[in-house]
Amino acid sequence: MRIVIGQGSCGIAAGAEKVKKALLNTGVSADSISITGCIGMCWLEPIVDIYDDENKLTRLVKVGEGDAEKIARFVETGDKALVESLVVSDEDSEFLSKQTRIALRNCGIINPEKLEAYTAAGGYEALKKALSITPEEVIEIIKTSGLAGRGGAGFPTWFKWNAARQSAGEEKYLICNADEGDPGAFMDRAVIESDPHNLIEGMLIGAYAIGAKHAVVYVRAEYPLAIKRLRNAIAQAKEAGIIGENIFGSDFSCDFMIKAGAGAFVCGEETALIESLEGHRGMPRLKPPFPAQSGFWRKPSNINNVETFANVAWIINNGGEAFAAMGTEGSKGTKVFAVTGKVKRSGLVEIPMGKTLRDVIFDIGGGMKTDKDFKAVQMGGPSGGCIPKELIDTVIDYKALGATGAIMGSGGMVVMDESTCMVGMAKFFLDFTAKESCGKCIHCRIGTKRMLEMLERITKGEGKEGDIELLEELCYSIKDGALCGLGQTAPNPVLTTIKYFRDEYEAHIKDKKCPAGECSDLIEYKIIADKCKGCTLCARNCPVNAISGTVKNPHVINTEKCIKCGKCFQSCRFGAIVKE
Amino acid sequence: MINLTINGKAVQAPEGSTILEAAKAAGIYIPTLCYDEAVEVYGACGLCVVEAQGIPKLLRSCSAKVSEGMVVNTESERVVRSRKVAMELLMSAHDGDCVAPCQLNCPARTDCQGYVGLIANGEFDAALKLIKNKIPLPASIGRVCPHPCEKACRRKNVEEPINIAQLKAFAADMDLKSDSYVPETAPASGKKVAVIGGGPAGLTAAYYLAVMGHSVTVYDMMEKMGGMLRYGIPQYRLPKEVLDKEIAIIEKTGVKLVNNVKLGVDFTIKSLKEENDAVIVAVGAWKSSSMRTKGEELDGVYGGIDFLRGVIKGNAPEIGEKVAICGGGNTAMDACRTAVRLGAKEVYVVYRRTRAEMPADELEIREAEEEGVIYKFLTNPLSFNGENGKVKSITLQLMELGEPDASGRRRPVPIEGKTEEIDVDSVILAIGQKLVTDDVKELSLNERGNIEADPDFFTTSIDGVFAIGDATNRGASIAIEAIGEADRCVKVVDAYLKGIDVETRVPYISRRDESTIDYSDREKKARLTPEVLPADIRNKNFDEVSLGFTEEAAKEEANRCLECGCREYYKCKLLKVAQRYDIDPARFKGEMPQKYTRDENAFIERNTSKCILCGLCVRSCREVMDIHAIGLMGRGFKTDVSPAFALPLNETKCNNCGLCVQLCPTGSLTEKFNLPKQVPLNEEYTEEFVEIDGKKSSVLVSRYNGKVLRVIPNDAISRNSGLTREELESKLS
Amino acid sequence: MDTKKVDLSLLEGVLGEYAEVKGSLITILQHTQDIYGYLPREAIELISERTGIAASEIMGVGTFYTQFRFEPVGKYLIMLCQGTACHVNSSELILQTIKDELGIEDGQTTEDGLFSLKCVACLGCCSLSPVMMINEDTYGSLTPDKTKKILRELREAAK
Repeated sequence: MRIVIGQGSCGIAAGAEKVKKALLNTGVSADSISITGCIGMCWLEPIVDIYDDENKLTRLVKVGEGDAEKIARFVETGDKALVESLVVSDEDSEFLSKQTRIALRNCGIINPEKLEAYTAAGGYEALKKALSITPEEVIEIIKTSGLAGRGGAGFPTWFKWNAARQSAGEEKYLICNADEGDPGAFMDRAVIESDPHNLIEGMLIGAYAIGAKHAVVYVRAEYPLAIKRLRNAIAQAKEAGIIGENIFGSDFSCDFMIKAGAGAFVCGEETALIESLEGHRGMPRLKPPFPAQSGFWRKPSNINNVETFANVAWIINNGGEAFAAMGTEGSKGTKVFAVTGKVKRSGLVEIPMGKTLRDVIFDIGGGMKTDKDFKAVQMGGPSGGCIPKELIDTVIDYKALGATGAIMGSGGMVVMDESTCMVGMAKFFLDFTAKESCGKCIHCRIGTKRMLEMLERITKGEGKEGDIELLEELCYSIKDGALCGLGQTAPNPVLTTIKYFRDEYEAHIKDKKCPAGECSDLIEYKIIADKCKGCTLCARNCPVNAISGTVKNPHVINTEKCIKCGKCFQSCRFGAIVKE
Repeated sequence: MINLTINGKAVQAPEGSTILEAAKAAGIYIPTLCYDEAVEVYGACGLCVVEAQGIPKLLRSCSAKVSEGMVVNTESERVVRSRKVAMELLMSAHDGDCVAPCQLNCPARTDCQGYVGLIANGEFDAALKLIKNKIPLPASIGRVCPHPCEKACRRKNVEEPINIAQLKAFAADMDLKSDSYVPETAPASGKKVAVIGGGPAGLTAAYYLAVMGHSVTVYDMMEKMGGMLRYGIPQYRLPKEVLDKEIAIIEKTGVKLVNNVKLGVDFTIKSLKEENDAVIVAVGAWKSSSMRTKGEELDGVYGGIDFLRGVIKGNAPEIGEKVAICGGGNTAMDACRTAVRLGAKEVYVVYRRTRAEMPADELEIREAEEEGVIYKFLTNPLSFNGENGKVKSITLQLMELGEPDASGRRRPVPIEGKTEEIDVDSVILAIGQKLVTDDVKELSLNERGNIEADPDFFTTSIDGVFAIGDATNRGASIAIEAIGEADRCVKVVDAYLKGIDVETRVPYISRRDESTIDYSDREKKARLTPEVLPADIRNKNFDEVSLGFTEEAAKEEANRCLECGCREYYKCKLLKVAQRYDIDPARFKGEMPQKYTRDENAFIERNTSKCILCGLCVRSCREVMDIHAIGLMGRGFKTDVSPAFALPLNETKCNNCGLCVQLCPTGSLTEKFNLPKQVPLNEEYTEEFVEIDGKKSSVLVSRYNGKVLRVIPNDAISRNSGLTREELESKLS
Repeated sequence: MDTKKVDLSLLEGVLGEYAEVKGSLITILQHTQDIYGYLPREAIELISERTGIAASEIMGVGTFYTQFRFEPVGKYLIMLCQGTACHVNSSELILQTIKDELGIEDGQTTEDGLFSLKCVACLGCCSLSPVMMINEDTYGSLTPDKTKKILRELREAAK
């Protein structure tokens, strides 16, 4: 039997490393334990997969250190009853079985730290195939596939490759944007941590197609494990002659470099990324000229996102038509989403374009985590928007999602329930963009700050008549005037929440009320006397002694003293404390 | 060559040029604050956006290249809207005062900071000339003005405001002592203007119209010119010899003065209009207001301005030994102090509120008290009681202060049943003055009985007839108000005479939020006031009370000025662009990104709170000079321009080349003046050439009133020469 | 704060490898921070000297990216995730708990030099939200109680 422990960042954070140690302590031989990357069922981490000699899988979930003994005995005896309580439910298994995995095809299956594991899964065959045809033919296959940029903009990949290929000059760069900065998105991290060679292979094919001799990956510094595994993979590929001179005996040579970002969301914008690669402040350059003409070191450069490259090898292996067979008229292939928030099953979901939001959130994601109703889903992070429950049947397609005011984005899908304040949500994103604005152009530097200030006023109950209209005016002005994509899309969270939840804004402004009960300045905590058992727990938890009462008698909150920290609300075991 | 259309005009531009370059070559202005040919295109400000047909996004014209057949609009509605919001955002984060608050609070917008600064520098004649741009009677006004400027002066937040009014009188007195300044007049326009009324409003209008080349005659009913300045202000405050000298200077500009002629008797407005191209009515308010109190008709009850006029004309009315003055304004002060000087033994001032609410100047209140005046605060006349038709006593209602009224002052309310009676020989009612409406019956009047004049254009019900001053709209006010109106009216009349349009919209300027200003680093220094005659001497005669500033005291007092207004006001590119659009940055009022910090070396002063982050300084220091003294620090809203480790400029490699200052579109970086006190002045810039190591090199020279203020290197040779500004100046031919 | 003299010899390896390599400033700064825990001024001056990049440029880059620090940090650097999923799952409460427990604000270090708190961009462990990282270790599904326990254990371990 083989033991495979899921060791993506999430798994490790959930305790996978501890489980591994505990297993070793039980005497299980180190040789029989291997690791894999992100399985994608993040809510069930740590996950331990056990393959028997026929390669039949028993998946154990939410494994703790204390389960090690049981597992060891199961491995020894094959008696499944020992671990019955840990075996993944059929229902949870649907989370994976309902997906179509292309970019994530090896994730959570192979060992990301071993080149052999990748080649055993058919790795680097696509590169060999690509090198046997002309770069133009490679581009043609990508064109047929309909692959579009998965970073968010959805620009046809073949078009960018072709532009870079057509650009004059010997010296060209192929760059991978792994600066996954959207809060709530972690697809790229999962790909690099779980299948780094797939990224390398996709990039090498891209480099060959555009005629680049240099490939660069720009990874955000917050992903140390991804950087470690990618470095390891690059070293292996160099060792194996996959990176370097005359790859697979062809005329094609390409070197490979990793640059770690240093914490700036704006570096996801391609010209800012280039500035950062060159060691400067990550402030976007004016376009034109576009990177395809003048990019890294002013040489023709092509930049694609991790997920885009993760599809390339599969497309070359299976043909453009196979990829294009999935999806809708305008959006081909699959898309990976990081489904999080108030959803029951949160994790990575890869599905063909054309499915609906309902399919992802309810069918695969299992619906809401608590008994509160679904309210909206946020897509595209700070550049995207909130899609309300009325539009839950929207088809996943660049155009259809764009029509809602949100965007496909890089794949973050944050599910919200009735307890999430939508003005607060807009404020959260504006706080993010205002902090991440590079400060170069007026509209973004000052505009996002002023929007944030207005939203702060509104959520504090200091909003005034006309604020919504002023916000809208400022939004359209920023969209028109900002220099780069960060600023141009920064108003989207505000515009979509105003569009779909205008009444919530009005409630804050006119009635000084937060319908979701989230804005602390606009709520009051009260104790329902009938429900209060007089346990005194709330009073003991109150940091300002605002709660009075005697044992076994109903308590009372002094609203004058209350600082609305919510500690009483969380501590009450009888649901006797309410927010109003 | 590429053919394109910009704003409907066919334009040709070389291939590869930007829209901005093409527009500039075609004489089409596109605003920009971060572009300069000296450095690489940056694209930060976004003001140069234009709309091109068929392209959905706005284009930044500094980087977008021209293409064949392109149709560009540089001023479309969408473009203007975008620029407007950009400027509103930018100004909402630009923490600076274009103009000092003293100047803004002066009804005539006199450049107080300018002349105070020039006085501090000992440039008295330049100071006088600057004052005379706005006030033709500064020696008189300096003495009598209740100085709203000083109320706005920020020095009060340190200890006390600058003595601006007295400094003005000082500069004017210096001028009157020697060859007085008479401005050059423009060539004769051939247009004739009649001014009715020779008070501050009429004389000011006449003076500036004459300077503009128009032929002006002032008609006045009294024996001498000056209006209320002469007949309403006592000699001890404004010696008439001073007023005479200033009127003589006005006459030197070619103004004709005609006295002893009365409107309605010797001429009518219509008759003057027939003989002139325009008429300005500035007749003033010459009737004392009534209190509507029982007994006002008794002998011995006088109107305040009637009383003062009688004294000045030498026929003072009989006031006896006990005099009560009703009112708390400056006319009441003039009346009571005059009564003291006439020999009255008991002089009362009856005022229904307290000292704190008195509208009169604090100095006047104090000096009157020193001279023996007795204040009866919180009293109000109920009746004037007479005997044989002559006033004998006053019954006073005692009052107390209640809730604040519309003016914000606490309203006096009677204390039921409490009265007091004082014996008097005479009563002077100093509670206001009104227009004699019969004089102006040819014009439409408003419900207050004043002439109805357009508040911006000063037009009346008769075409070509304008009206200003105390006789109009809201009625009597202070002299400087009338002077300000006259100055603005002159611009309208001049345009009327020339048949052109005139802009009366007050252009946008940036102002700091007073509540955010920190004065803790300012050293306290007491306000200086000229010496005055001792109370026991001055209360017996009509000699001028104030002895005026000495030169040393004037310079010292002027040096207290905090220099609130921006030195780059006259050449600020940011302000010019802001004023092009009808902006309202208050919509986006919020946190300011930078605290006011000042860093300076021998020539350059940096003020981060005004920085708009165009990056021109940083880029020129790097790209042109390769010095890298400063860089952009931090990011986002709080991005800042600063040397590494926030070092002062002095400890960087800065070689004082001045390029950053030259490129700074606003007052964030300024070149210091060659003057001890820095003053915002409308300098004249010329490009001149100097020889450096045998090579000809360009410098920019700024001069004011003939004096060199700054010398700025203007090419690579002078920038890299390492010469100081003094050394460069010494090389000027 | 720590006024110990900065041992610049520790930088030699990094400078030897990258000083001459175009575009390596960020990499050099990252290594420098790994060595000292922050970017000491003396180190920046040396980097400037060796790379020929002006100190104003280096500081411009250093202050642009949130990763870089100019003051020493505590033994335990708490990086609290500010991502969307964490926000939706009440990371605000965790922030408050840390502040209350340690008596410091975002960006500050405790007086005993043990803990520094920094709110950071999304750590990408959204399924475990709310999440924080302390040095290299990630802690997920935090609750106020769990957070307190973690901090107290670390404090205990440091004794």
